[in-house]
Amino acid sequence: MPDAGTKKPVTLLIAAMGGEGGGVLMNWIVNAAIAKGFPVQATSVPGVAQRTGATTYYIELLPEASPAGAPRPVFSLNPVPGEVDLMIATELAEAARALSSGYITSDRTTLIASTHRVFLTLEKMDMGDGRLDGKKMLASLKKNAREAILFDAMNASREAGAVINSVMLGAIAATNLLGISEDDFSDGIKAEGKAVAANLAGFEAGLRLAKSGAEPVLEEAAKRADRAVPLAGLESQAQAAFPAEAHAVLGHALRRLADYQDIGYARRYLDRLAPFRTSDPELCREVARHLAVRMTFEDIIRVAQAKTRAERYARILGETGAGPADPVKVTEYFKPGFGEVCDMLPPGLAKKVLAWAERTGRLGRTYWGMEIKTSTVSGFFRVWLLAKLRWWRPRSYRWAAEQTLIDEWLDLVDRAQGIGPDFALEVAELARLIKGYGATHQRGSRNYRRIVETLVRPALEAGSASGGDSARVAEAREAALADSEGDRLAAVLRAGNDPVAHAAE
Amino acid sequence: MERSFAKEIELLKLGDGDVFRGEGILAVTKALLQSGVSYVGGYQGAPVSHLIDVLVQAKELMADLGVHVQANTNEASAAAMLGASIMYPARGAVTWKSIVGTNVAADALSNLASPGVTGGAMVIAGEDYGEGASVIQERTHAFAMKCSMWMLDPRPNLPSIVNMVEKGFQLSEASNTPVILELRIRACHVFGEFDAKDNQAPRMGLNSKSDSAGFDFDRLAHPPVTFMQEKKKVEDRLPAAEKFILDNDLNEHFEGRRGDVGIILQGGLYNTVVKRLAALGLADDFGNTDIPLLVLNVTHPLVPGQIRDFCAGKKSVLVVEEGNPEYIEQQINTILRKADIQTRIAGKDVLPMAGEYTAEAVLKGLVDFFGDSEPHGVNLELLRDRAAKLENAARTGRDGAEVAVPGRPPGFCTGCPERPVFSAIKLLKEEIGDVHISTDIGCHSFAIFEPFSMGNSILGYGMSLASTAGVVPLQKKRTISVMGDGGFWHNGLQTGVLSSLFNDTDSVLVIMQNGYSSATGQQWIPSSAGSPSHSEQTSEIEKTLRSVGVKWLRTVRTYSVDVMVDTLREAMTTKEGGLKVIIADGECMLARQRRLKAENAKLLEAGRRVETPRYGVDDEICTGDHSCMRLSGCPSLTIKPSPDPLRTDPVATVIPSCVGCGLCGEVAHAAVLCPSFYRAEKVQNASALERLVHNVRRTVIRWMAGSGETHA
Repeated sequence: MPDAGTKKPVTLLIAAMGGEGGGVLMNWIVNAAIAKGFPVQATSVPGVAQRTGATTYYIELLPEASPAGAPRPVFSLNPVPGEVDLMIATELAEAARALSSGYITSDRTTLIASTHRVFLTLEKMDMGDGRLDGKKMLASLKKNAREAILFDAMNASREAGAVINSVMLGAIAATNLLGISEDDFSDGIKAEGKAVAANLAGFEAGLRLAKSGAEPVLEEAAKRADRAVPLAGLESQAQAAFPAEAHAVLGHALRRLADYQDIGYARRYLDRLAPFRTSDPELCREVARHLAVRMTFEDIIRVAQAKTRAERYARILGETGAGPADPVKVTEYFKPGFGEVCDMLPPGLAKKVLAWAERTGRLGRTYWGMEIKTSTVSGFFRVWLLAKLRWWRPRSYRWAAEQTLIDEWLDLVDRAQGIGPDFALEVAELARLIKGYGATHQRGSRNYRRIVETLVRPALEAGSASGGDSARVAEAREAALADSEGDRLAAVLRAGNDPVAHAAE
Repeated sequence: MERSFAKEIELLKLGDGDVFRGEGILAVTKALLQSGVSYVGGYQGAPVSHLIDVLVQAKELMADLGVHVQANTNEASAAAMLGASIMYPARGAVTWKSIVGTNVAADALSNLASPGVTGGAMVIAGEDYGEGASVIQERTHAFAMKCSMWMLDPRPNLPSIVNMVEKGFQLSEASNTPVILELRIRACHVFGEFDAKDNQAPRMGLNSKSDSAGFDFDRLAHPPVTFMQEKKKVEDRLPAAEKFILDNDLNEHFEGRRGDVGIILQGGLYNTVVKRLAALGLADDFGNTDIPLLVLNVTHPLVPGQIRDFCAGKKSVLVVEEGNPEYIEQQINTILRKADIQTRIAGKDVLPMAGEYTAEAVLKGLVDFFGDSEPHGVNLELLRDRAAKLENAARTGRDGAEVAVPGRPPGFCTGCPERPVFSAIKLLKEEIGDVHISTDIGCHSFAIFEPFSMGNSILGYGMSLASTAGVVPLQKKRTISVMGDGGFWHNGLQTGVLSSLFNDTDSVLVIMQNGYSSATGQQWIPSSAGSPSHSEQTSEIEKTLRSVGVKWLRTVRTYSVDVMVDTLREAMTTKEGGLKVIIADGECMLARQRRLKAENAKLLEAGRRVETPRYGVDDEICTGDHSCMRLSGCPSLTIKPSPDPLRTDPVATVIPSCVGCGLCGEVAHAAVLCPSFYRAEKVQNASALERLVHNVRRTVIRWMAGSGETHA
């Protein structure tokens, strides 16, 4: 065997999603290598004209100028698990996927990954929260790479006005693993002559962030500020009466209720919560949270309130990227049916109309679809009028129905405390199931009732001796949120009713 | 198609002294021109689509050279193209995705191979096998064997590939036999370089036409001469091919100092095998190897003498042959047995019987082979140690993954016109219950993934309707077949529509009319607005269906989910028997956006009015139940952490990539979801009057809305 060159080939794998410019990133690296006279090979599996699927690009290069006519190295066409020197992932879950495929190993892999998330359809479909555990992914990446350069490249690209690929190129340059200098790469961008300013801005951002060595932070939810509403000393009363753990929630809740209805409604909230003052502080806080959400149920008036807020237009303007002189036309989609209309009628009349609509098969079938342009005066006025119906709300059918349901739920949670704080907490958490509008709301309410009747009430009737199965209630809740068809919930509840299956567990 | 290949076309113009740098499939295209082809045809499909895409756009260059280029309507049409020019000294090449394309082309290939060729005839088959493949996994090799076509499988680097194209035509002519150039997915997409040569004008072509028609009764694919042709294949053409292969060193013999063993491998697997030998310390990074290699750049036919010479005197030889069954290994065993050579042949006993030969599979096979054969001078301990280290490193990495990430399969693009049809079918299924949905090949097959998870069966391109003939009699409800306009013209019209009409089958067909063969890269099809003929001959699907006798026919704009649900319901429940066709009409959004972007940029520059729609979600109204996601799956409609201080479940959000297709609003309406969605249309370069009206409106609305203070 003759002597091999002094340098070993470097292997580089890029995991990206369709439409992120992964191919362009590959070309930048290949062209920079060619400019240096390095032997280089690149492959990809683009497949169909997919725009959303995960895809990879693979590059091998010998970081050593090779004179013309010199023997060329044989490069691999496929990445090999355990043999990747530089792993690039444009998204956190794709980095985690590369790890489970064996492309990130502590003996040789330098990892550059963006920490932002592009959620999988499976994560988005979940009726509750189906997101993968970002913290776990981040920790496992840090632990298993030789070196991990992790930062939010999507955010950096947005700030730089660039595509994410240029930010990744900057980070690659920062590692100095390819024998290609920062200037070589930036010269390549300039020579290409396409979107040079934006690409250079992205490149510089990637370079800076990769060199900064800052600890990666995952994107946290920016919470909406509460409305400024006078609370007439209610907040300090609440703080004096309730445990400190609940204070933050109470502050949000009181403003939410006063904005939703009035100060009297906020007071009623505190009255309802009073029995939990001396409960387990965590239970108190969670009941406080769910109670505020339940009491501000989503009726047509609340929707109208949100759609006519003064600051809304500016937000939409920002989303569209419109200039200050560009008009933006806004259209809303409403489709009320008998249910939504009757929600607003007095209870007596509503019941009659609903009964008639059900009898004649109109309930859940007849809807009035409307598209309202709230950027016109007449359109805005119609929605604004609805928002002004707040005074009428306590006289409506929906109001009466919701108050009864809320009191029933509170009573269940209170009684569940007799079994134990864990069980009570799970009963309180069932409120999460009731959300959405129309059919979604009905399904959620139905699931809630099924779990209450099958698991909660029997436990309460049996008393503390039965122990109450918190884990089973939690399992049923998760199952109810897992699929809209209700298959998993049915399976869980069936197991609950079946003494044989129950015993077998 | 809307995409431009101007850069690629420049590469095709390179000549002597230039270095070509680009993708494998483009290198093949260049090699065809260097070989003096008279015509090129083909049908699109990964990984070979670009060959035809680029040539179709390279009109001027082709006219200069006198090369005819044709985008065929299916692979049978492409293969047939090679079949009549056998009477002339014209070189021709056609391309498609294999195995599927070869299956479609099969009849024409048999009729081509039997009489044999005069000018070189080449099929460039994109072997869609292994990682990244989108079709059933089978080998094209079987076709080469049963038709007596020669199979070229070059080493996956550009100089080797280009050389095999050029030599392939010569081989074809020397043996009067059509050849297949097999290129695996990554070989088609490999970026590399080779020394270019001048393009050759064809001996016969657009600029050098013949005035006479060739005739030779012996070369008609028809009895009685077919019996003689079958004999000629083995008596004349095979020996000629074997001689050419030997004389031109098409297969490569690499010497190695461990002469008591050897490896015979397909050319396409060369890099994988050599790199694994290097990993074991038996080769260097430049391909200098300790183990003798016989690299088969021609995998059919094998040259018995060459196999015998390589094996003779060796204890054991490993055959590295990807895919099932092991045709080459069987032949080698036969050759050695007949010559009474006692060399032991290993192959599928140490390597996987089926599936892609990944680096890990090959490494394991090599270690087992060396373990069994104990080559002289190879330290087996060291070898096993090296392999174990590699395996350990990979395993440790994999074990470190704490979160299992589910697959991220390809899906409908943002704004895709096909998505709303599946939203509609999903809504209909909620009403009428389960129904057999027969899916087809094309973008619409992504409906088999979340959130639709739809499709009870899937068959080859254009065959969804034909396949239901066996299901309709078994199902109480009508079946729904989904077919793209690409599949419709590819063969769906004949195999599906005509057969249904002929047999009066009572079922429903939905044709996705998006105007392109979208999944393969938005190539034009016969019903495209801008078909290659650029004339008014565009074939209309609706007219075609009427003329063949479809009576129940509706055309529905795909984004109108409400109307689509109603139409589907009617099709499923109407008393009218027979075939019911719904044309779901909506242009491929990817192609549309590519065009609109350029058009709008021009309008903006000229100061003209441009309206840009997008959708949004009021996160104060969204409660995070994600019903909209389950009916859409649009990449631009996603989730974000809830900004509500009292809620935990993520809420819906529309990200800037939204193109304002309208589905969000339509679905919210059709499914009675929630009032969170809004459409926002930005108007750029609005007229003074429009701006004035807008400002007056804003002033009044601001006054009504009052101030919006928040509590810090």
